[in-house]
Amino acid sequence: MRNWKLVFEYELKTLLSKKSTIIPTIIIALIIFGVFNIPRFAGLFSSGDTEKEYNPMQEIVEDVGYVFEDSETGAKIKAALQLPDENIYENRDELVNSISDGENELGFVVLAPTKFESIWQDRDLENMAETTFSNLLQGIHAGTMLAEKGISLKEVNAIQNIQVEYTTTIMGKDTSINLLIAFLLLFVVYMIVILYGNVTATLIAREKDSRTMELLITSTKPTSLILGKVCASAVSAILQVAVIGLAGYLGFILNKDLLPDFIIDALSGTLTKEYIITYIYFSVVGYTLYLFLYASLGSMVSKVEDVSSATAPVVFLFLIGYIVSSFSMSAPNSNLVMIVSLIPFTSVMLMPFRTAIATVPTWQYLLSGGLLLVTTILLAFLSIKIYRQGTLNYGNKRGIVHAIKAAFNKE
Amino acid sequence: MLLEVKNIHKSYGSTEILHGISFSVQSGRAMGFLGRNGAGKSTTIRCMMDVFRPNSGEFLLDGKPFKTEDYRIGYLPEERGMYSKNKVLSQLVYFARLRGGGKEESIKSAKEWISFFELDEYANKPLETLSKGNQQKIQIAQAFVNDPDILILDEPFSGLDPINAQLFKDVISEFVSRGKLLIFSSHQMNYVEEVCDDICLIHQGNILLTGSLDNIKRNMGEGKMLLETENMDSKATTEMLCAAFPDMECELYNDALILDTKGKYSQNQLLEFILDKSLNIVRFGMYTPNLNDIFISLAGGDTK
Repeated sequence: MRNWKLVFEYELKTLLSKKSTIIPTIIIALIIFGVFNIPRFAGLFSSGDTEKEYNPMQEIVEDVGYVFEDSETGAKIKAALQLPDENIYENRDELVNSISDGENELGFVVLAPTKFESIWQDRDLENMAETTFSNLLQGIHAGTMLAEKGISLKEVNAIQNIQVEYTTTIMGKDTSINLLIAFLLLFVVYMIVILYGNVTATLIAREKDSRTMELLITSTKPTSLILGKVCASAVSAILQVAVIGLAGYLGFILNKDLLPDFIIDALSGTLTKEYIITYIYFSVVGYTLYLFLYASLGSMVSKVEDVSSATAPVVFLFLIGYIVSSFSMSAPNSNLVMIVSLIPFTSVMLMPFRTAIATVPTWQYLLSGGLLLVTTILLAFLSIKIYRQGTLNYGNKRGIVHAIKAAFNKE
Repeated sequence: MLLEVKNIHKSYGSTEILHGISFSVQSGRAMGFLGRNGAGKSTTIRCMMDVFRPNSGEFLLDGKPFKTEDYRIGYLPEERGMYSKNKVLSQLVYFARLRGGGKEESIKSAKEWISFFELDEYANKPLETLSKGNQQKIQIAQAFVNDPDILILDEPFSGLDPINAQLFKDVISEFVSRGKLLIFSSHQMNYVEEVCDDICLIHQGNILLTGSLDNIKRNMGEGKMLLETENMDSKATTEMLCAAFPDMECELYNDALILDTKGKYSQNQLLEFILDKSLNIVRFGMYTPNLNDIFISLAGGDTK
C-alpha cells in the first residue's frame, strides 16, 4: 500500500497532461460559458430598433398607400391610423403607379367595410400587414355594429379581458421545471462513467498488451496499482467536471440579469442543497464503483482491441439505469423506479434524478446510499483479486464468471 | 547476501509447474538461471518477486524469510514493456520510486543512467520516439535506476549491438563486484559464460544442475582430454592413438579430438606419446565442455 500515492500521482499527472483530457475540457467549458452569454451577444448583434416596442401598425402606415372606395370606412381608417393625406390615392391605378415607382411598398384598396384588396411590389415572408389590416377592419366594423346596438367597444373589451387570478402551491417538486437540469446532470454522469471507465480499462489492457504490467506488478502490490489508478481516474474526472461547472457558474453569475426567467427558475428549482448533496454522493461513489468494475474487466483481456467487447456488459447495465430514469419521469415514486433506485449499479442515476423531480423518503436515501457504499467497497476488494489474477494471465480472454472463480482460487 | 530457494512447489490449477526446486544465489557471484522455454524460469522469478505465492517451500535471504518490500530489487523481464507514450525521464523516476527509491535520489539516478547511455536529448520525449535499440537501453536503465541490492535480468542482451553489449557487460561486472546479488537468465550461452560464476539449470520444473560454472564444466568433462595438432588428419591420428592406447575412445570435436581414456592412461603418458610422434600441438589439456554443450546434453534430450 505504500506505493498507492505514487501510482495515484503518476497516473493523475499522466491523465491531466493528456491532450485528450485538456482540449475537450476547455472546449466544453467554453461552450457552457458561451451558452450563458448568449443573451449578452444576442443584444450586440441585433439593431438598436429592438429597444423600441414593436408596433404592428407601423407595417400598414409607413410606405403604404390607400384607396377608399367605401368612404365611410375610409374615414374611420384614416382616423384610426392617423394617415397623412399623401398616403391616400384617388383610384386603384394611381395607387398601382405609386407602388411601381417605389413610392410605396404596399397598397390597400378598401372595397367595403369588410372587404379589401392588397397590392404588393414584393412580398416578404414575415410581413403581417394583411393580417394587421384585416384585424383593424374587423375592429372598426365590430365597433360600428356595436354602436348601432348602443354598446361601446371599450365595454366589450373590458368584459372579454377579465383576468382569472390563481396561485400555485407545490408541496414537493415541480417536475416540469426540474426535468431539464436533472437530465442534463444525469447525462454528465453517464458520459463521465462511460468515457473514464473505458479510459481506465484501456490503460490497464494496454499495460498488459505492452507488457508494462510485468514491471509494475513486480515493483509494487496490485492493491496499490488498482487503487492508485482508480483514484487518479476519479480525481481527474472530478477536476474536469469542476472546471466545466466553474465555467457554467461564472457564466451564470455574469449573465444572471440577462437570462430568461425559466432558466433561473429551472436552476434554482433543481439545484437545491438536497439535490446537490445527493448528486455528488451518488455520482462520486457510483462512479468509483464503475471504475473498479472497468479496471477488473480491463485486466481480464490481453489486447487493447478486446476492451470494448469486455466492457459491453457494463455499458448495458448503465443503460438500464438511464432508460429507467427516462421512464421515471411519469411515475418517480412507482415501485419499479423505487427498486431500481435502490440497486447500487442503477441508483447512481436514479437517486439524484428522483430527488430532482419527486420527494424521496429518507429511509430510501439511507438504504440506497448505504448499499452503494458497501457494494463499492466489496467490489473494490473483488476487483483487486481479479486484477491480481488477470494482470499476468495472458492469452485467451476470460469471462467474468471464470475471472471471479479464479480470483477466489488459491493461487 | 545469500538467497536460498527451498523446495518450491507451484501449481496452476491441477498442473504442477515447479516440482520442489531448490538452489541458492550468493551476492558477489553472478548466477545464470538457465532453462528451455517453459521450463519454469519465469514462474520461479514471479514467485520470488511475490507476484505468485508458491504452494509450498520458501525463499530465505541470509536465513530469514525473503520479503521483497525490504529490499531494492531491479528487474528486467524478457518481454520488455514501458509506457510508450510517456516521457523517458518521468517513467524512469516513477519505476525507481515504485521500487523504493527516494524522490531526489531517483531523479538523479535516472538522469545519470540516461547520460550513461548518451540519451540526454531524449529525456523529456515519449519513449516511442526512440529507436528500438535506444528503447532497449532505457529498459536496461529502469532495472538499475533504483540502485538495486538484487538484480534479476531476463535476456538482457537481446537487441543490443556488440558495442552496447560490451558496455552492458561492464556494467553488470561492476554491479556484481560491489557485492550485489545478480540472477541472470538467458539463452545466449556465450554471455552467460562470460558474465556468470554460478549456474542453475531448470528443466520441466526440476533443477537439473546447480553450482560453480567452473566446477560443473570440469565435472562434465569427465576426465576427458582435448587434443589439437597442426594440420591434423583426425582419422589417422585417431587410428594411431587407438593402436597405442587400447580401450581409449576418440571423438571429433571442432577440429580437435576428445580423448576418453576411461581412467586407464594419464595425461603425461599421452603427452609423451604425442611428443614422441613429433606432432605439433596446438591445444592439449583437460577437456571442459562449453555451456552450450552442457545445456544441450542435459536439457535437450526431451523435446516435450
